[in-house]
Amino acid sequence: MTELFDRVQGLGAHLSDSPFLAIALTITTYFFGTRIFEKLERPVWCPPVVLSALLVAGALVLLSVDYVDYQKGAGWLTVLLGPATVALAVPLAQQIHHIRALWRPILITVPVAATLAVVYSVALAWWLGATPEVMASLAPKSVTAPIAIGITEQIGGSVALMMGGLLITGVMATLFVDLLVPRLGVDDERIIGFVLGVNAHAIGTVRAFEISHTAGAFASLGMGLTGVFTAICLPFAVEFLGGGIFNG
Amino acid sequence: MLRGFLILTIFLVIGESLSFVLDWPVSGGILGMILMTLWLLTQSGAAGTDVGAASQQFISILVVLILPGVVGVFFLGGQFDGQWLAVGVALVFGTLASVATTMVLMMALLPKTLEKEQRD
Repeated sequence: MTELFDRVQGLGAHLSDSPFLAIALTITTYFFGTRIFEKLERPVWCPPVVLSALLVAGALVLLSVDYVDYQKGAGWLTVLLGPATVALAVPLAQQIHHIRALWRPILITVPVAATLAVVYSVALAWWLGATPEVMASLAPKSVTAPIAIGITEQIGGSVALMMGGLLITGVMATLFVDLLVPRLGVDDERIIGFVLGVNAHAIGTVRAFEISHTAGAFASLGMGLTGVFTAICLPFAVEFLGGGIFNG
Repeated sequence: MLRGFLILTIFLVIGESLSFVLDWPVSGGILGMILMTLWLLTQSGAAGTDVGAASQQFISILVVLILPGVVGVFFLGGQFDGQWLAVGVALVFGTLASVATTMVLMMALLPKTLEKEQRD
């Protein structure tokens, strides 16, 4: 009987040898997280991924599975972020026709806004004495998650810290847009959508589609262009600033 | 589905090769995405259907793919002790500033007359 008990105790470690516990856990909590999100009536301030991540963290503690082991197993899933990033080309290509009608405002706003999003946060963090790793983790915070993971790995940030900052940014930017729209008297759905996509990535895009289809289309476009611009320019900028703030 | 997955994978491999050979600091997935966007713009309708279906599948499970990374937030421990003020200020005020800038910029640049063109 005690032998059986010992074996049950060792189950968590045994199952961590194969990736399937981690994969099953990730997908299960995804469904539960989404379900809870619906039950809470889709709060903007709490994206489903946060609920799911809390459930995974709780399960890991309960099963006494090490986070590093979980991550190793879940790596079999996260490797799909590669083709999933390429897949983002499809919505981008579908929305790109908006550029033809509005190429001037869009092609000026994206580089300026995407650059300033990085500069504002990195400068504030630097001023308050953040380490290079923290600044590198904050820099891609306005970019959609799959692209931001690629950027963070290139510039030497912490993916976990970046993900936390990215989600908080998405939620806050969405709230700030709701606050500023009436104060600045913005009544153009294209502007609201675009601002949501540029600053609040997927979280803002979901919100924009709640406003209208036009807002959603402009949010997708803003998100895609900001992602592409930041992904190309930020790693090169960090490389050029090689001896600068990012390397202490 | 399989044909679409193959196209995605081929663009990913091309992107990865470019990134490595040119020694660019840009990840292969992003280069693959840019190349596929350009390719899709040259395709008229039918050719993009397979890749469209596969992409839809991937985009619908994106949350599952980023979830393991988000879990890491709860296991940071004391790794960034003493940095949280900087992180908090950068997130709150950095985001507020960039939302305001983007909005003002778009309002200044987007002529109201284009409204009609857009509706066509």
